[in-house]
Amino acid sequence: MSKRLRKYMALLLVFGLAFSVMGLAGCAPEEEEPPDVEEPVDEGPVEGGTFVYYITEPAYIDPLNLFESEGTQVGQAVFDSLVAFDPITSEIMPAAAESWEPNEDATVWTFNLVQGAKFHNGREVTASDFKYAWERICNPENESEIPYHLAAVLGYDEMQDGTATELEGVVAVDDYTLEVTLQYPWADFQYVVGHAALAPIPAEEVEAGDFGEMPIGNGAFKMTEPWAHDQYINVERFEDYYGDRPYIDGIEFKILADMDTAFLEFQAGNVDFTQIPTGQIQTMIDEYGESPDGYTANPGQQVLLGTELAVYYLLMNNEDEVLQDPIVRRALSLAVDRQAICTTVFEDTREPAYGIVPDGIFGFQDDAWEYSRYDVEQAKELLAEAGYPDGEGFPTITLEYNTGAGHEDILQLVQNDFQEIGVEAELAGMEWAQYLDMLTERTYQIGRLGWISSYPIMDYFLYPLFHSESEDNYAFYVNLEVDEMLEEARVTVDDDERIELYRDIERKIGDDAPMMPLMFYRHSHVASDRVMDGVYSASGLFDFNRVWLLQ
Amino acid sequence: MLKYTVRRIFQMIPVFIGVTLILFILRAPGVLPGDPVRMITGERAIPDALREQIVKKHALDQPLHRQYVIYIGNLLQGDLGESYQRGRPVLDIFADKFPNTLRLAFAGIIVEIIIGLTAGIISAVRQYSFLDVLVTLSTSILVSVPVFWLGMLFQIFFGIKLKEWTGGAVHLPISQMSSAEFPDWAHLILPAITLASVSTAYVARIMRSQMLEAMGQDYIRTALAKGLTRRAVTFRHGLKNALIPVVTFVGIDFGVMMGGAILTETVFSWPGVGREIFLAVGQRDWPIVMGGVIIIVFLVMIINLIVDLSYALLDPRIRYGGDAE
Amino acid sequence: MTDHREERPNPRSGVPTDVGGHETRDEATTLPVLPGDLHAVTGLSSRTLWGDAWRRLRRNKLAIIGLIWIVAVVLMTVSADLWVAPLFGDPLTVDTTPGASLQSPSLEHPFGTDKLGRDVFARVVYGARVSLTVGVLAVSISLAIGLMLGALSGYYGRFVDTLVMRSADVFFAFPYILFAIALIAVLGPSYRNVFIAIGILGWPSIARVFRSSILSVKENEYVDAARAMGASDFRIMFRHIMPNAIAPIIVYGTMSIGGAIITEAALSFLGMGVQPPTPSWGLMLSDAKSLMFRAPWLTIWPGFAILTTVLAFVLMGDGLRDALDVKMKE
Repeated sequence: MSKRLRKYMALLLVFGLAFSVMGLAGCAPEEEEPPDVEEPVDEGPVEGGTFVYYITEPAYIDPLNLFESEGTQVGQAVFDSLVAFDPITSEIMPAAAESWEPNEDATVWTFNLVQGAKFHNGREVTASDFKYAWERICNPENESEIPYHLAAVLGYDEMQDGTATELEGVVAVDDYTLEVTLQYPWADFQYVVGHAALAPIPAEEVEAGDFGEMPIGNGAFKMTEPWAHDQYINVERFEDYYGDRPYIDGIEFKILADMDTAFLEFQAGNVDFTQIPTGQIQTMIDEYGESPDGYTANPGQQVLLGTELAVYYLLMNNEDEVLQDPIVRRALSLAVDRQAICTTVFEDTREPAYGIVPDGIFGFQDDAWEYSRYDVEQAKELLAEAGYPDGEGFPTITLEYNTGAGHEDILQLVQNDFQEIGVEAELAGMEWAQYLDMLTERTYQIGRLGWISSYPIMDYFLYPLFHSESEDNYAFYVNLEVDEMLEEARVTVDDDERIELYRDIERKIGDDAPMMPLMFYRHSHVASDRVMDGVYSASGLFDFNRVWLLQ
Repeated sequence: MLKYTVRRIFQMIPVFIGVTLILFILRAPGVLPGDPVRMITGERAIPDALREQIVKKHALDQPLHRQYVIYIGNLLQGDLGESYQRGRPVLDIFADKFPNTLRLAFAGIIVEIIIGLTAGIISAVRQYSFLDVLVTLSTSILVSVPVFWLGMLFQIFFGIKLKEWTGGAVHLPISQMSSAEFPDWAHLILPAITLASVSTAYVARIMRSQMLEAMGQDYIRTALAKGLTRRAVTFRHGLKNALIPVVTFVGIDFGVMMGGAILTETVFSWPGVGREIFLAVGQRDWPIVMGGVIIIVFLVMIINLIVDLSYALLDPRIRYGGDAE
Repeated sequence: MTDHREERPNPRSGVPTDVGGHETRDEATTLPVLPGDLHAVTGLSSRTLWGDAWRRLRRNKLAIIGLIWIVAVVLMTVSADLWVAPLFGDPLTVDTTPGASLQSPSLEHPFGTDKLGRDVFARVVYGARVSLTVGVLAVSISLAIGLMLGALSGYYGRFVDTLVMRSADVFFAFPYILFAIALIAVLGPSYRNVFIAIGILGWPSIARVFRSSILSVKENEYVDAARAMGASDFRIMFRHIMPNAIAPIIVYGTMSIGGAIITEAALSFLGMGVQPPTPSWGLMLSDAKSLMFRAPWLTIWPGFAILTTVLAFVLMGDGLRDALDVKMKE
């Protein structure tokens, strides 16, 4: 071989290598296109596999204190309450109770339990286990943070005072019949008992100790070992479950420090379901495909963007000197471009809110609040009408918020919007603790909060937030007419009539513009490509009972 | 020696009391905004009965000085109390977090020793060379880098860019748990380097100046005069004498690293002690804050003591005797 | 133990690290003489010293680079209103028009734009205002408290000394950044409270440095002479002791500004510092965290600004130390 040839060969080799490296580099991203998945429809669900679900360290997993999302996720897998909700429509469905009925004025509720349902320790679930569980929550000695779920039940106040040791209104008529008497009629009470915290508890296991670390429930999954703090919570299928047998063998709740970590884990293939950090949504949709209904994940349709039953709003202090004027409140509310916030800050993973009750709650109405539109012109007119033409003479208002949770971005946009109509606003960020103090002390001007439904009913977005005597009414909105209507709706047993009434109430409140709804939350979650029929409900609970995994 | 040890332990007491007092004063009603009991339920109104229960359990209804006495009493029995919000014993909570922190601190120390010592030695042996200048300048830069930024740059570069450029062949895990494809220790690499960045610079500087100083000592000159090679002298005598202060620094630094690598932990989502305390401050979960700081201060004091004592043992020229003040 | 070990300031204290300028080593520090060490600088005496020092400083290229950079940054931020806003945009004005946010660097926006469509270059330039102000004010507070307590401690000794120095020990024992966070929690996160908190936490190092300077000057004959002539304590302090103990303080103060800037950035990064919409480097990095991979320019520039500014103060401090160091003259 001549010297020259060798030189050429070498050159060729170098070029070849270079091209193949470049080719590889060029190809690499393309491999991440939405995976072509063979239609698995004809196959049908198969059993097996462990679903890896990301959570952050829960506060509690004992129903006694199921109030935050992470613990509730675990709790709902291990426990079943009397009723359940359809994960997509939020329709009420039987669970531990196979049927139930109220008396005529909805003050006495009778629940008929499923017979033969068992706790994970093998003992049968009876009506008295519910009584025990509910009294456990209401007994102040147990330091439950959520007894308010049962505030309507007769005997609740006495238990909280410490003057009674049992709930007078809860009676185990026999092993399979639970009778609940309320202090006042409440047609929506059936929804309340669907909360994961109101599940039955086996007293003998609580007395045995360590229930908080390894609760024994009646749900489709049982814990196999105590909670490994900061690491994982493992559950496996409960073979004696009374309901439909789940397809998956178990769930590993993988405890990670935060969403960013979980997202990395997901990309590495170690987690089956996680939230997507803002800024990554579009990339993820391009890569994994979007779910058509927003709630159900299947391969190639893995990104979920369905509306959640939660609303984000700006509070206006209705007692404030300037803001007590409804015309001012309307003007400010009209000035805010909700769509711009959703798009700029959240990549459209939130939806502008033009009312307070989110889509997905039965009775939802479009554009319920007249003044939640974006209309700068009308805002200016109203401001002039209120005596501040072009914002003249309008004092600088303060936008208060809690730091470290991304609210800054939202409020900076609001600040800009206010400027458009001549209203100067300044931001005042503070820590959550301090912020809460200020809300309670009624010293804020404009603040922010979010409201997440515990039960999928309109009442939950109206009564607590706007009844003048509700402790959650941080706008300090007082309209006695609305109070009356809210009370009336609660005792209206007829479903259609009640819903109509709630719709009226929502619009009526909207007319006073006591606060500014900004956005409804949406999912921003993604499932791995082995997840089949993975439904993440509008209330943010994963349906572990029906999901299955491609093997 | 014994006398010195006893005296040192006694000297810890006022510091310890001071630290706990400050923690208590910071928490006093009217000083720290935010009602800790309220934080338990957030924006939902807290039931009165629950409030009473919690106030009673944590003795929050007692006057502050009384609470202090109760707290110290419990502390002496090894009881750090319970978290307001999670109801778990503070000791259990930290028992979960300390292993993470320890692993990170150990890894950090290893980085600091390997890189710091090497750089320091090279710099001293080749004084005024290009390498020396490079090391000196690098140490200045390193102490000026905000660690959280360094951590972010590492993540961008090693986690993403490198992966892109090499088609996924070469990259590093950028958080505690990401990617099962890596062995466990690999997850420590980036956080450890980040955490150790500033200390590494100090180790290098200390090493350099110590070696230069040691090389100037009479006995080194004597050794050289006796005909030993420069290299032998450098490593046998210079290094040995320079190492003691470095070890001292590293020992103390270890305590410091356990104390609160909040920024590194935040950037790498590392569930460690510092971050736990930081979050607890925001939550007004003061039992966690108190407990965490007390554990750290205690550990740091113990480590300081051990370092001092071992220093005295290693270097016969040091005598801890009476008060020279 | 001997006294000199107490005099030595901690190498970390000038520039707090992540682990927090944890100065636990009053007794423990058998640390060697670092380039950053100050105790060797004490005992300056002559007036011409300042002239000599300046000459030496001028010869130190790195220190001069640091000085130039500091001056440049100051000039840029002071004049920012004149050129930054017209050329690149207002650092506060949000732009929600589609495509305005997260633009990668271009001629129009040399450092790109952030999530809310604001020009990152403008924000970096204005961020320098926050950093420099916090740095200078924090150190001033530390100096005010530290010098006073250090003077009391060094001059009067005995009980006062014990009290002050034990308090300093307590401050040192506390994990630095956690202490700062706790203080901010008490004061509330804001621009003003950040420099107050950093200022308060800085006093023990200054007090120690000053105290040891005083101790070494106090025994000089001219002080005795002044005392014999009936000069008041105050007069002795200001006429005779101060001028001779000030050199290490200058060096230390310069380095501390760098440290305060990093601490401010760290606190803001954790959400416990300057609040939006004020542009602060730490805050910008905190915003950048979730967009690190998508918009790396948001991460790179603010951090680079911190690095260069702090480095400038460190180099200046190093230079000043060398220039003022008596030992160096020999």
